Amino acid sequence: MPEQLLGDITKFLPEITLTVMFLVAICADLMFRKSPQIVAGITLTGLILSGAFVLNQSGMNESIFGNMIAVDPFAVFFKVIILMSAIFVIVFSLSSVELQTASRRLGEYYSLLGGLALGMMLMAGASNLLMMYLAIELSSVSSYILAGFTKEAPDSSEASLKYVIYGGLSSGLMLYGISIIYGLTGSLDIYEINHVLAQGSVSGSALAIAGILTLVGFGYKISAVPFHFWTPDVYEGSPITITAFLSVASKAGGFAVMIRFFKGVFIDPSATHLPEGMWASLSGFEWYHVVAAISVVTMTLGNLVALWQDNMKRLLAYSSIAHAGYMLMGVVVLSNEGLAAILVYFMVYLFMNLGAFYIVMVIANKTGSEDVEDYKGIGKRAPFLGVALTVFLISLTGLPPTAGFIGKLYLFAALLNSGWIWLAIVGALNSVISLYYYAKVLRNMYLRSEASEKKTEMIDIPRVQVATVLVLLVPVIALGLYFTPLVEMAQASVKMFGSP
Amino acid sequence: MLTEFGRVFIFLILGVVFVAGGLVFSWLIRPNRPYPSKLTTYECGEEPIGDTRVRFNIRFYVVALIFLIFDVEVVFLFPWATVFKGLGWFAFFEMMVFLVILFVGYAYVWRKGDLDWDRPTPKVPKYERGIGVREDHLMEEEVAL
Repeated sequence: MPEQLLGDITKFLPEITLTVMFLVAICADLMFRKSPQIVAGITLTGLILSGAFVLNQSGMNESIFGNMIAVDPFAVFFKVIILMSAIFVIVFSLSSVELQTASRRLGEYYSLLGGLALGMMLMAGASNLLMMYLAIELSSVSSYILAGFTKEAPDSSEASLKYVIYGGLSSGLMLYGISIIYGLTGSLDIYEINHVLAQGSVSGSALAIAGILTLVGFGYKISAVPFHFWTPDVYEGSPITITAFLSVASKAGGFAVMIRFFKGVFIDPSATHLPEGMWASLSGFEWYHVVAAISVVTMTLGNLVALWQDNMKRLLAYSSIAHAGYMLMGVVVLSNEGLAAILVYFMVYLFMNLGAFYIVMVIANKTGSEDVEDYKGIGKRAPFLGVALTVFLISLTGLPPTAGFIGKLYLFAALLNSGWIWLAIVGALNSVISLYYYAKVLRNMYLRSEASEKKTEMIDIPRVQVATVLVLLVPVIALGLYFTPLVEMAQASVKMFGSP
Repeated sequence: MLTEFGRVFIFLILGVVFVAGGLVFSWLIRPNRPYPSKLTTYECGEEPIGDTRVRFNIRFYVVALIFLIFDVEVVFLFPWATVFKGLGWFAFFEMMVFLVILFVGYAYVWRKGDLDWDRPTPKVPKYERGIGVREDHLMEEEVAL
């Protein structure tokens, strides 16, 4: 057995790298208290090294540590997204003014960011219910601390506390669901659970209850309605960098673990008559109807409530809830096409959402405000930021020629191809609603001018920050015009261990 | 025919009957001699002082949390020790890695000062002597008048 374990360790290198990086980072934090940049450098190095190991795993399709963790193209894709957003967030943090209020503890901040990324990477690969739970907890605990990191600000402490309470409740419910599944099938391994369920002797109603309870845990991570109540407060109260990270990477981890759970547990292995790329769910618990309902409620509520928001962070929080709703549509279609659409959407979402949050941060660094009202005249005072934010918001709405359009296009195509026409219509209507609140920001930036004379001077931005914005901006436009490589990569990445 | 959970159910019923039966039976046979001292809170024979719900110092929680974490982690040594012979050097190095991680955590807690029990310096209220003397003096004068 030790030989088997040692062999598996070589396939676990990305996670081991992050663990070692975390330990080195906290030791460095103890030694060089005055300069948190050193810890930031160590974390950044660790993330890049881990990314190299992840890329080295492409094409692997195996399961390690006795089916605890899968190393397959699907996990690799999500790990890439998580690591990329972690690297971006560390770069963002280096230029954040808000974080300087807690500069004494910044070393802790960077090492925890690495720990958070580790938890999310485990979520991407977990294929055992216990491992899924532990991975979710590992990432949650780091997020709670990071959400309350600027503890001098009352908002931040409030955010952290609310996050803990909601997190505790939902992970409790999820554990209850997992315990029922274990009671019904006698296993925690998703492949074995699937094997037992396929024999058809498990009661459908008990399975439905267990499935919905487990879904609570996933729904909380991706902030799907009705498990979203923490989202606006946490996103508003946390430092912007953490908000950006939670809105992209945390959702990516949540989606990865949820898709693996549903596809792994409920796929019908005997359905071979289906067309290529489609798969069937076992009868007994029609989970995709539940997910479809959650998807509709999530995007509609997210978009409708976003209409009333006047704080940029809250507005983007509700918009991210709506985006989780769009992506959930790709889960219900039961086809690899739908999954590929989610992967494309995630890659696009990474750039546009991080970009939008970064610009909110850069503007807040200068003006000290995140109010939509204070964006009046920004288009003239900071032309570059104005144009960049416009592109990101148009992309979030899903209009061509930006990458957001491509993401939505593939999602809707997957829905139409598998006959979910009503869901596609709801999704399209929601995109129209979202145009209103994104356009509200644009109107403030360009069509309205600041009443007082004092606030008309130009905002100049350091070159590093311009470069960071460009790194995020170029893919949003480029992927909107030339998207074949991304789509091909996503289509190759839907392959999961143990599924046909 | 009993299912597995049927037995659990019988166990639950028996548990309730046992407790309730004991209470009812002792209520039936006991002598009834009430006096006021019987109603006071029992504090190891001491006179009870104040409410039981007092505020604990937050430092207790920090120490309790640190204790809990290390306690639970060290428990992992026991299953390791029982299978150590069968696994050999592999298990040895695995546990060493685990212990190193544990010690890094310990060093971190220590260096961050979470083990220090810093006592607050008590503020002794200062008595301004001069004013008091003058007031006493005035009062004496008033009495004299």
